[in-house]
Amino acid sequence: FPLFGAAIHALGASQLTDGVINRSKRMMLDTLGVGLLGTRTAVFNKALKYSQLFTSERSSSIWGRSDITLPPCYAALVNGIAVHSMDFDDTWHPATHPSGAVLPALLALAETLPSRPSGLDLLLAFNVGIEVQGRLMRFSREAYNIPERFHPPSVVGVMGSAAASAKLLGLSPSQCSHALAIAASSAGAPLANAATQTKPFHIGNAARRGLEAAWLAQMGLEGNPSMLDMDVGLGVYYNDYSPSTMPDCASGAFRWILEDQDVAFKRIPAHLAMHWLVDAALAARGKLQEAAWNFDLSQIQRVTLRVPPSKYINCPFPITEHQARHSFQFNACSALLDGKVTVASFDPAQINRSALKELLSKVEVKTPADNHPSFDKMYCEVQIETAQGESCTARCNTFYGHWRKPLSQEDLVEKFIVNASSVLCTEGVEGVIDVIGNIEKVTECSVLGSYLRMTSNTLEKVYKSASCQNSSGHAVTLF
Amino acid sequence: SKCFVFHLQKTIRPVQAARGVHQSAHPAPEDTVTASFGQFISEIKPQHLSPVVLQRSKRMVLDSIGVGLIGSTTDVFDLALQHCQHMYAPDFISSVYGRSNVRLSPTLAAFVNGVATHSMDFDDTWHPATHPSGAVLPAVLALSDMMPASRKPSGLDFLLAFNVGIEIQGRLMRFSNEACNIPKRFHPPTVVGPMGSAAACARLLSLDSSQCSHALAIAASLAGAPMANAATQSKPLHIGNASRLGLEAALLASRGLEASPLVLDAVAGVAGFSAFYEDYKPQPLDSPHDGHAFLLEEQDMGFKRFPAHLGMHWVADAAASVHKLLVGVGPGKISPDQVQDILLRVPLSKYINRPFPESEHEARHSFQFNACSALLDGEVTVQSFTPGAIRRPELHALLSRVRLEHPHDNPANFNLMYGEVQVTLVGGDILKGRCDTFYGHWRNPLTNESLRKKFRNNAEVVLPSAKVERLIEAVDELDRLDDCQDLLSQLQ
Repeated sequence: FPLFGAAIHALGASQLTDGVINRSKRMMLDTLGVGLLGTRTAVFNKALKYSQLFTSERSSSIWGRSDITLPPCYAALVNGIAVHSMDFDDTWHPATHPSGAVLPALLALAETLPSRPSGLDLLLAFNVGIEVQGRLMRFSREAYNIPERFHPPSVVGVMGSAAASAKLLGLSPSQCSHALAIAASSAGAPLANAATQTKPFHIGNAARRGLEAAWLAQMGLEGNPSMLDMDVGLGVYYNDYSPSTMPDCASGAFRWILEDQDVAFKRIPAHLAMHWLVDAALAARGKLQEAAWNFDLSQIQRVTLRVPPSKYINCPFPITEHQARHSFQFNACSALLDGKVTVASFDPAQINRSALKELLSKVEVKTPADNHPSFDKMYCEVQIETAQGESCTARCNTFYGHWRKPLSQEDLVEKFIVNASSVLCTEGVEGVIDVIGNIEKVTECSVLGSYLRMTSNTLEKVYKSASCQNSSGHAVTLF
Repeated sequence: SKCFVFHLQKTIRPVQAARGVHQSAHPAPEDTVTASFGQFISEIKPQHLSPVVLQRSKRMVLDSIGVGLIGSTTDVFDLALQHCQHMYAPDFISSVYGRSNVRLSPTLAAFVNGVATHSMDFDDTWHPATHPSGAVLPAVLALSDMMPASRKPSGLDFLLAFNVGIEIQGRLMRFSNEACNIPKRFHPPTVVGPMGSAAACARLLSLDSSQCSHALAIAASLAGAPMANAATQSKPLHIGNASRLGLEAALLASRGLEASPLVLDAVAGVAGFSAFYEDYKPQPLDSPHDGHAFLLEEQDMGFKRFPAHLGMHWVADAAASVHKLLVGVGPGKISPDQVQDILLRVPLSKYINRPFPESEHEARHSFQFNACSALLDGEVTVQSFTPGAIRRPELHALLSRVRLEHPHDNPANFNLMYGEVQVTLVGGDILKGRCDTFYGHWRNPLTNESLRKKFRNNAEVVLPSAKVERLIEAVDELDRLDDCQDLLSQLQ
């Protein structure tokens, strides 16, 4: 375990490979985009109002807001909540949402550091935060499957944030170890709050409390230096736990996990499993339309979904947007009804459509034995049967955006532009793309903050007045 | 400093109505455990507090304040306070133990006062095992400070909220058999503490039953820390964070944040609060009615006579009786040269088995250290854990002669365990001491006089005697105070 602390301290920019730089920059861009879009959600607004109880001398930017700043820990909290507010952020294997726990903390921290970290410092710290999460998840076989007990970002996310923050702060090896130990006492939220408005807080708090842990370690607070080694340490979050040491990063033995295992980026703001399902549903729908020239949806008699077993994403009649994002049934039906699933599909009006509810009542979910609840192995199949006796089945093994079939750079940037434009003016949007694209050459990474605050005045007025009338603040899409 | 304005939940409601189409998540079915807890918290009234519960909870409030006050002299408290003062702008709202003229924003005050309370492991312990008051009182104090002067809670409202926080913790621990034993995985105050704090604060904020449920559910996502940080400097933060995060959960719930309506219920495939236990059987709470029996009525609290893990109190009392025997025999001081062997018969529990503790935190979690201190000095006190005392060569000499046995009839359970100290002298004489129930245990409670003596010893380290006496009075009369400000104003 002291080796983790030593590694966090010792890892240097020279260890960053082209592959890792490229992949992590994509993660940063995607995270900023989904975060910006997320600042228009109800949950973000609630968190923001709460966080405004706190002030500090050195404060940090709130993404998509030009008028307010918050103490760094609370900036990390609300920006992290924004990132996860719509379940639109990146997903890794073993399963977690790695970037949302790390980037908000680092940006908030960077803005307050007198040392004015460079873009490369930021990139390195970011990768340290991702790497630590990846390493920790590999300590347990349980982590490889879709979770049932603890929400993974709440377990490893805070550890990643602590590691990344410790790196950016330049803590000693011992302080880095203690940062991790302190953070472990802030880990672990039960899965029951997934599919609720509180889920985004899991990522927000991971970012916040990891940063706090690093600061406390810097002040000399100590925890158990064997935290990662013990079953009664980080092992409490897992049923099986086998920690292994971090190889000496100076030796040739060290290899970034991100080099070998890419992340998935989402095209739909919903749980990752929905992506397989939507692709399958759209394919089945397409087949039906080709086969039956007069096909219309009212002819559908039954829809059978063959999915991996996972209780918290099996929701036959979702009421809230949070439930809808975690519902096989909802996402399949939205895809069938509309021919696409987008940000707008989760608006209350869309969720409450009678046509959708009617279709939902025709859905049956099956969990075949060969469908393993793991993002590396699962598939989704959609079978549509019509009143006329026709049946069409389509299957998706790997959706576009999965690490096996990554989003093209063009599509990734396009997703960012669409998301960021809901909040930032063109200059801000392009500025972020530019800074992230060249992050390793940027002299002061806090320039990112100024772009993230470049809201379009019109947009900001619209949102501000909307949030005065009703605190719903649902994500409004302008396209 | 900023002018702090807090809108109580009554003013939040109209905003929800204006949201129109957006529906709240599930109409919570009345027969869930989660809903029953929400309902209890929102409907319980002062008249439901029996005289016994009033009396016992006032003792807890007094003891908790006292240990918090002396705890404000520790390094870990200093660190926590400095962190809050550096990271956040001054916010002169909620008082900080032992620091006149220092106030912090409410959740931060709850945090540092909670850290103070647990900083020396001097705070109360219950059965099933947890430290209930430190997670609740700092939050209730901080929240009371936050309320406008014209609308401070009465002493009875304050006491009710406090008791709700204790009750909820007790109820939750009874959902699991695992909770009855000395913990192995999660540190209990981190599991039930935030829930208790959230419940107490929801009560004080007069949230409706749905909001109370959500407060608990939000708090559940903030619960749980591993045992590995016990016996380290981070442990006191477990209580500090429990208090702080429970208050935060209640405040977020009052702003309409929603979470799982089934968090306390057992749902296969999706863990809620059950995530923290191996075995989990939740029970609904009855609607409050006259004659509702608070758990505190049936199960009293243990108060510590010295600042160390509860398990230490048995071996200390056993060793003290051996010390008396030895001193009776020869000169007034014990010399390690007299002692050949020290055998401790204690329950099996790794985190309190430390042969040579190096820090004060480790020393407070060491059967060996506490037995030898009591053997040497006749008692264990606050002073036994100073660096000088820990490093005494004569103590170290005794420590090197200790061995442990874990008899089968000595379970790791605060209701059933015992401590036995067997000293073999160089001459061959064997002296034995055994303690089944230490003085301060719930079976042998501290008298009011002893409790006040402990309080005075603690509080007088940071407050003048006059204030200390007024505090004792204020707590004694708490259920008769119209305005809890009379208590709050004595704390600094």
